[in-house]
Amino acid sequence: MSSTNAPIRIKGFTNEVLSWKPWLDPVDVASATPAQLAALDEMSPQARSSPYFLVLAHQPEMLLQRSIAFNAIMFAPGGMPRAERELGATVESRVNGCVYCASVHAQRFEQLAKRSDVISQVFEEPASAGTTAREKAIVEFSIRLGAEPGKVSADDVRTLKEVGLSELEILDLIHSVALFAWANRLMLNLGEPVFPGAAASS
Amino acid sequence: MTTLSESSLALDVIDATVPLVPGHATRLLRQQRDKVVAATQGSYDAMFSSSVEGLSVAERLLVALHACSVSKAATLAAHYRERLLAEGVDRELIAAVGSGAPVADARLRTVLAFTASLIERPIEGDRAAVQSLADAGLSTPAIVALGQLIAFLSYQVRLVAGLQALAAVEVAA
Repeated sequence: MSSTNAPIRIKGFTNEVLSWKPWLDPVDVASATPAQLAALDEMSPQARSSPYFLVLAHQPEMLLQRSIAFNAIMFAPGGMPRAERELGATVESRVNGCVYCASVHAQRFEQLAKRSDVISQVFEEPASAGTTAREKAIVEFSIRLGAEPGKVSADDVRTLKEVGLSELEILDLIHSVALFAWANRLMLNLGEPVFPGAAASS
Repeated sequence: MTTLSESSLALDVIDATVPLVPGHATRLLRQQRDKVVAATQGSYDAMFSSSVEGLSVAERLLVALHACSVSKAATLAAHYRERLLAEGVDRELIAAVGSGAPVADARLRTVLAFTASLIERPIEGDRAAVQSLADAGLSTPAIVALGQLIAFLSYQVRLVAGLQALAAVEVAA
């Protein structure tokens, strides 16, 4: 599934695969409680080996509910195409400066959409990003809801409807952007991204 | 335990704070994503559960009030103010935290400063900020709980704002 093209590296953001180093001690899988293991497994089959999810496993009920919400928002059938949910997630991550989240969800967008043109645009300058009127409207709404939620109005919803989004698609976009307001804050404040080749430092 | 259909029909915190009454078109739209509805309320319940150790329910509600006040999310701030009053938290303390006035308690001051920073400028999060919480006496599970709570509130604020915008279109239509 990986792209054969050279990786995108723009303004500190990339679509390369990064690692993440926690600032807190992760839960040790070997001594994890059944509730901690259930919460990890709810997230994904890889979560037991992820430092990020093992840190979050210190609060298993919070991780369990967040995992259910995450998977329901990003993977539910129908409504907004999954690639566009990933675009909303990538825009929110770019606006918040979450390099790790932006890399993961740029990769997922590319896997689903089979292109990365809009990702380069989002990394360069989110305010003008988008290859179609629909995509531009999705990006603009994602920026607005992410950065200034108190200013989102009926007019912003009408703009999305004018470029063809259904109400369910708009709800899916709201969920995706809001979810990454959540995810970015965990990633940015409980640890830091590690770039390829830099894993041995500090 | 309630059944899934009963819990999905009950008004939850998001419905109450948008607000969305039974039968509202935006509420029916929300119900199409019933797993998200249930996990959003489930997350809220987990965030304020009495079984979370290291950070009292009152402290967590004060964090929520401060986060929603900073975010100018008026209906959510009112929700957390009501819960704080129901918990019997001192009215002057609630007023101070809601308005951003300084509080006397050093631990609470550190927690609220971390809250405002993470809500408004998540990119400024660093190792020193996490260390300041540990120095204030928070255990690792308590720091994870605080991080999850503030991050969840960022989600809740945007979900309510988005649903309010959707509902406003319904009213105008």
